[in-house]
Parts: sequence; C-alpha cells; structure tokens
Amino acid sequence: MNALDVAVGQPPGRPVSGRHLAVGAGAAALVLVPLIWIDPTTYLVLTVAGLAMGMLLFLTAVGLTLIFGLMDVLNLAHGAFFAWGGYVGFSVLQRLDALGWVETGSLGQSVGSTLLALAAAAGVGAVLGVVVERVVVRRVYGDHLKQILITVGLSLVMAEVIKIVWGPNDEMVLVPQALQGSYDLFDVVVNRFRVLAVVVGVAVFGGLHLLLRRTRLGLVVRAGVENREIVEVMGYDIGRIFTAVFAGGAALAAVGGAMWAVFREQIHPGMGDENLILALIVVIIGGMGSVTGSFVGAVVVGLAFNYVSFLVPKLALGVNILIMVIVLLLRPQGLMGQE
Amino acid sequence: MSDPILALEGVHAHIGGHHILQGVSLEARPGRATVLLGRNGAGKTTTLRTIMGLVRASAGTIRLAGERIERRRTFEIARLGVGYVPEDQAVLSHLTVEENFRLAMPCESEESARRLDTVFRLFPALKTYWQAKAGVLSGGQKQMVAIGRAFVTDHRLLLIDEPSKGLAPVVVDHLIESLRHMRDETTVILVEQNFHMARHVGTDYFILDDGRVVHGGRMEDLVNDHTVKKRYLGIG
Amino acid sequence: MASRAVPLNPTARGAGRSRDRARLLAAGVRALVLLGFVLGPWIFPSFRAMDVLAKIMIFAVVVASYDLIIGYTGIVSFAHGMFFGLGAYCLALVIHHGGEPRGFHLAVALVLAVGLSSVLASAVAFFSLRVKAIFFAMVTLALAEFAHILGGQWTSLTLGEDGVSFRLPGVLGVGWNGGGVLGVGVDGRLITYYAVLGVSVAVFVGLLRFVESPVGRVIESIRENERRATALGYRTFHYQLLATVVGSAGASIAGVLFAGWVRYVNPESVLGIPVMLNILLMVIIGGLGTLYGGIVGAAFIVAAETWLPELQKAASTLLPGVEIAQRLAERWVLYFGILFMLVVFLFPKGIMGAVRQILARREPARTGGQ
Repeated sequence: MNALDVAVGQPPGRPVSGRHLAVGAGAAALVLVPLIWIDPTTYLVLTVAGLAMGMLLFLTAVGLTLIFGLMDVLNLAHGAFFAWGGYVGFSVLQRLDALGWVETGSLGQSVGSTLLALAAAAGVGAVLGVVVERVVVRRVYGDHLKQILITVGLSLVMAEVIKIVWGPNDEMVLVPQALQGSYDLFDVVVNRFRVLAVVVGVAVFGGLHLLLRRTRLGLVVRAGVENREIVEVMGYDIGRIFTAVFAGGAALAAVGGAMWAVFREQIHPGMGDENLILALIVVIIGGMGSVTGSFVGAVVVGLAFNYVSFLVPKLALGVNILIMVIVLLLRPQGLMGQE
Repeated sequence: MSDPILALEGVHAHIGGHHILQGVSLEARPGRATVLLGRNGAGKTTTLRTIMGLVRASAGTIRLAGERIERRRTFEIARLGVGYVPEDQAVLSHLTVEENFRLAMPCESEESARRLDTVFRLFPALKTYWQAKAGVLSGGQKQMVAIGRAFVTDHRLLLIDEPSKGLAPVVVDHLIESLRHMRDETTVILVEQNFHMARHVGTDYFILDDGRVVHGGRMEDLVNDHTVKKRYLGIG
Repeated sequence: MASRAVPLNPTARGAGRSRDRARLLAAGVRALVLLGFVLGPWIFPSFRAMDVLAKIMIFAVVVASYDLIIGYTGIVSFAHGMFFGLGAYCLALVIHHGGEPRGFHLAVALVLAVGLSSVLASAVAFFSLRVKAIFFAMVTLALAEFAHILGGQWTSLTLGEDGVSFRLPGVLGVGWNGGGVLGVGVDGRLITYYAVLGVSVAVFVGLLRFVESPVGRVIESIRENERRATALGYRTFHYQLLATVVGSAGASIAGVLFAGWVRYVNPESVLGIPVMLNILLMVIIGGLGTLYGGIVGAAFIVAAETWLPELQKAASTLLPGVEIAQRLAERWVLYFGILFMLVVFLFPKGIMGAVRQILARREPARTGGQ
C-alpha cells in the first residue's frame, strides 16, 4: 500500500448543491409566474424581447466580469467601449447606405452591412481596449481606489471624444433592411432583430464557453482568475493575457453597443453610462468573475424588465435594482460567484 | 567542482518598506539539492521569490548559468528553465488535476510524457484523481500536484518552498522518497523547516538569519555539527 | 471659517518658529477666504458673481463631506450625489407639498434630509461595506442611478422630469426687499446668500471637528492600515459606517442649501451622473484627505463651468471657420477628465495635498521623528 493513500481525502463527488437548486427554482419562478397575469401570446413576445435585451447586456457584462475576475480590476470605463461600438456601427451603416446597401439593397448586401458594422465595432473596440489597457489600466493594477477613479476619468474622456468626433447630439441609426420587420410564428410576432440578438448572444456565450474550456488560452485565463502567480511561474506572460482579455472584453462591449444602436435606432454619447450601470447590476446578480453568472444575470434582468414593464410599467426601471438587492441579501457573492 | 547553475551575490530585497533580504549570497550546483534553512522570517521564502522575479531585488545580482536574471520578469525566468513550487500546496483548485498538469506542459514532448510517467509512478494517487477538481484533494495530494506539475517540465532548476508544511509525517516520508528521485533528474533548491526532510533530501545547505546567509556547507557536515544546529535552528 | 490650524503631522512634537509662522500663514489664508465670501456681494456686485460664490460654498461642503468618505476611509461611494439630491428634494418637496412656504418648512427639510440620508447611508453600508471596496462602488453606482430614475418616474411625489420650482418663506423670498447698504440691494437673495454662507461654514467646521476628534483619528488610522487598526481592537466596520453616515448627512445638508439657493430642482440637476462626476472631479483636483481641498476643487470647477463657455464663445468668434477648433473648445469637460486622470496618476493627494507635502518638506527637521 502506498503511504499516501492514508491521506486520501473524500473521493470527489458531485453533491447536489443547494445553490443550483435555489437558482433553478428562482429561474423557473421568474419565467413561469408572469404567466399568471399575462396571456400566452403576449408572454412569448415579452420573453423573446427579454432574451434579446438580456443578450445585449450579456455582451457588455461578460467583459466586465472577466476583467474583474482575471485582473481584479473594476473597469468603469467599460461602458465607453459600448458607446464607441454604437457610434462606429452607426458610421459604418451610414457609409454603406450611401452605396445603397443598408435600407434598400439586396438581402446579401443588407446582411453584409450588418456584419461589417459589427465587425468594425469589434475591431475598434479591441484596438481601444489594447491602448487603454497598455497606457492606463496597467498602471493601476492592485490599487482599487486608483482604478475606480482612473476608469471613471477615462469614461468621461472617451465620452467627450465621441462628442468631438460625432457631435454631442442624438443620432438616428439606419436599420439594415434584413433586420426590419418581424417573423410571424403561430400568431406570435417575433421581431427579426431580436432573433439576431438572441443568436449572437447565445453564440458568444457558447463560443466563450468553448474558448475557456477547450483551448490553452482559456485554460490559462481560468487559471489566472484563480491565481495569477502560479500562471506566471509556469512561464506564461500574464501581462499579454491581461491585454488580450481586456481587448476581447472591450470588443464584445463594442459589438453590444453596435447592436444596441440598431435595436434602439438611436445613439447618444451618454449611452455608455446607462449600459454600464445595467451591466454592473448583471455582474452583481450573476457573481463577479463568472461568465455563466453574467449570462444568467443578463437573462434575469432582461426578462424581469420586460415582464414588469408590461405588468407595472412604473416599476420597470427599478426592478433590476430590486433583484440586485434581493440577491445581495440572500447571496452576497452573486448567483454563480465563488465565496 | 562544476560551475554553479544559480548564484546570488549580495541580493537585497524590500517588501512593503521592510528590508527583508540584506545581502544574500549563495550558490546551487547542478545535480545537487540545496536546502535553505533558518527561522521563520529569516528570508528563505523571499529568497526563492526574488530568484523567481516575484519580488524585485533592490541590489545585488542573480545569475542563472552565468546569465543575469535579476531584472527579468517572472515568466521569462520560468522560460529560462526555473520551476517554482510555492508554499501552502498551491494548486489551482477549480481546475482538474489533469488541467493543472496540462497548464504546466506547454508542448507535449516525449520527455514530458516520460516525466509524467515518473510522476504517476511516484504519486499513483494522482492517476486516480486525474479528472477530479484539485480543490477536493487532501493536503498531501495537493502537494503532489504542485510538485509533480513543476517536475513534468524539463526545468534546469526547481525551487520548492516548504513542501512538508502542514502534512502528516507519513506523507512527508513519501514526499522525501519522491524528492530524492527528482533530485537525480533536476537541480533542486528547497526551503524547509522540517530538518528530517532537509537532511534526507538535501546535499548542501545554507542557513539564513535576518536576511543574510550565516552558514553553509555540505549536509553531512551539518548533521554532525550540533553547535550550528543549536545556534541557528534550535535543534540539538 | 475655522481659525484652528490642522497640524501637518499629528505626532510631531516641538513646533519650531517656522512652524508657528506656517500656522499663522494658514490661519491668515483661511481668514482671508472667509472674508472674501462675507464681503463677496460688495466686492463683486453682480448676481453672476454671487451665484458663483454661493455655489462654491455649497460644493465645498459637498466635497468636504465626500472627502470624509473617500479620502479618510478610502471607500469610493457613487451615491454621494444621491444624498446631495435627496437633501435638495427634501426642501423642494416639503415646501411644494406644504402649501404656503413657512419658516418651519426649512427646519423640517433639514431634519428630514439628515434623517433620511443617515438611514439610507447606514443601509447601503450594511449591504456592501462588509464585502469589498469595489462592491461598495458598484452598489452605490446602481443605487444612485435608481434614485435618478425614481426622481424622474415618481411623478406624484417629485413632479418627474419637469422638476419642482418653489419659493422660500419670509425674508428669504425673492420678493422681499430691505433697501440697500453701500450700493448693494438687501433683498431675499442677499439674505439667502448669508444663510447659505452661515450653514456652509457651520457644516464645514463640524466636519473639521469630526476629523480631528478621536473618532476621526481612528478613521484615518483605519485607512492607513486597516489590519493594524483591527488588531488594536477598533471595530473598523463601525467607524467606516460612521464616516459614511456623517459624510452622507453633510451632503444632504448641502443639497438643502443648493435647492434653497437655486429654488428649483429636477432629477438631472441634482441626481444625475454628471453631478456625481463633478463632485469626483472637485474632490480629486482639490485633494483627498484634506477637507480644505474641497474649497479649492469646488472653486476651480464652479468657476470653470461658469466662465469656460464664454471663453469658448470668444474662441469661436476668433476662429470662425475652423470647425474642429470649435468642437475642441466646446469640450472643456474633456480637459477636466484629462486633468483628473493626470492628478490621480501624478498627485494622488491633489492640489492641497501637494501643497502640504511641499510645506512639510521645507521643514523636515522640525517635524520630529515618528
């Protein structure tokens, strides 16, 4: 017998965790209880709308949560990437419309212009992310007070630069023809754009899941979230990984902003701040550092907002805060957060 | 005698305004296991962390096979072939044992496969728990993951910080066995409070006190030198 | 304003002559500043100037009370603007819903503001202070936005986005007129100005006393080294809670003053994110952990906000054709933002902190060993 077997602990098992049960029950309640007051058709429309909104929130929240988990940085400038994405998407659509691609054009052209707008937003977001991480955020690792202040200053500056480049007023966003109108499924009117939002959101979530679970980069990121130092002493350049994650998060937020722009058909320089607050609520609800948590949190916020704005319109904007407070009371670390 | 693989000369280091290392000079020779001994707070762990670049040396030089590394960053030092096992059974507890090892093996070479076999031979328990989250393992098993993980990469030098800490004597004996095996393949620098382990794994030693090396030599000499042991280690 | 000097180094012993001189100088500067505020309406007899002075006083109180939280405890709260807005709405709503404006409305508003903000601040602190500094920032940001939404949506109480305009009672009313003194009309405006001045000075001195009291010293020591303070037996949570409550109450009083001075509140002007950002700019530019920095920061931002738009108009008449120049001139907030970041990077202690450091360095031998 090996001496070490003496020290063997409990064999690994998967105890049914109360947390999963509670989260499942809460989610079921959230999804099903509104059916008591809402007729099924309206309910389905609201659910799709809620999911679409949730997916757009997820795109911003996921970067926030990863940056927090990996680098221990609360990036209050994250909303600025969202706003920049919105404006870049807006500009690209406007240029392409001049070529007749967006509001008229063939199906291919209109889908192509959508993809180009999203890709441009992602590209600009990633570049901005690299610059911001290298020039600003890198200097304040480990100092929470400075981080908070510096990133607030940064978001102010980035919003002001938007006003210089694009002007301080609201802009109307052109919606590609392929995204206008809706599908009609058994009397349920499903807005096309919402379908796209859900598809993109789920794809990003699935893609991130694969990236984190199946690739070496993902392995390094997951390890870095837990213990930066171990990753470094294994010979990984954590600085470059930070930059990559920061840029990735910024790119996703920018894509979210571009989609939001098309969704709302309108953009304004302050859109980043509003989105940042919603994303923060999502992250707090889901648990800081958890990708799945921010996915769940985003869906919760999106659904709750839509159901409540149908049932009690006045309460709609406050319901997210209410959920946040309840979660904080019951599980301060968030639904999926680690203790 | 062969050239040292690692040589520290007059290394100073500060942590949070405290002057921890006050001119540490020591050497480790290839194929040998050098043990750093000394009381709590003498600067043993800081010495390892400074070698690894986790603490900046404020003065002095650190040479790895003749090349100066005291200004290098941690990951560069790791890529130059220095492995590090931090204290307190530092595993990545949310990752599986397999992922802990995969992370440590940047490329799957024949050499690393052979070393992995060695690890499995030394620590059969790891094979049983290969797919388990490292966090559920016992302290001894975690230490096996931490040490094995550093061993599978072909390091020129392996720094191990207090592997015996918090482990039952029977586990410590097993670790001693394993570390003696590894010593034959890699040069080791070991920080150890447990003299039993130190004397059975180490071939050379240095004693640190108040951030300085106060004594050094061959382990077999120390074992019989009761004056030094009593004075610096408090054992007779 | 307070004539007592804040010691540069509380543990310093044996003050030398130059130290006494420095104290005298500091006291002189303080007296001059106070005199400036008192005589302001006579020195600059325009409503514009009086408005700027009053806002500087009010925001100096807001910033000093914020400094108590951020500078003396190291906790970043984004709800400070919310407490300011709470105070402002207390006055506006008490008068609006209370019928004809009466003197006691002011007292009710003050008590209500202090009471509500204290309760709310304690609740927020209980929720998030125990967890993490970052958490506190996130939760307070979300709550502040909630308050902003509430201000706009709860129309039956707050009148929504339209805001509340109201009159002040008695001699504070705009209509009241008491003749003129030395060419300056003594009217409700002027009386309000002095009321604002009186309350501002009282609150500011109160905050100074709090910081210099034994409790304040403990709070400072917690910021310096939380673990040590805990080891010494101080229950850090209680002290941080106290600082948060006192600071928030201070902000709400300043909010009452602001509403009283402007006689109009709406969600954007007292609860919006820009208000909070302005407070942050003031406290950082003025300097953390000094309280007096608040006056500098408030003066800088309020003055800039008042006069920069005019400068920009001048710039656009000078360079009429250059559109990008105009756009750049228009965006003075951008330069504040850059200045803010530079100050955080380069002078983490702000302007007052840097001045103090320089003063302290000039007499290193005399401050004694620690």
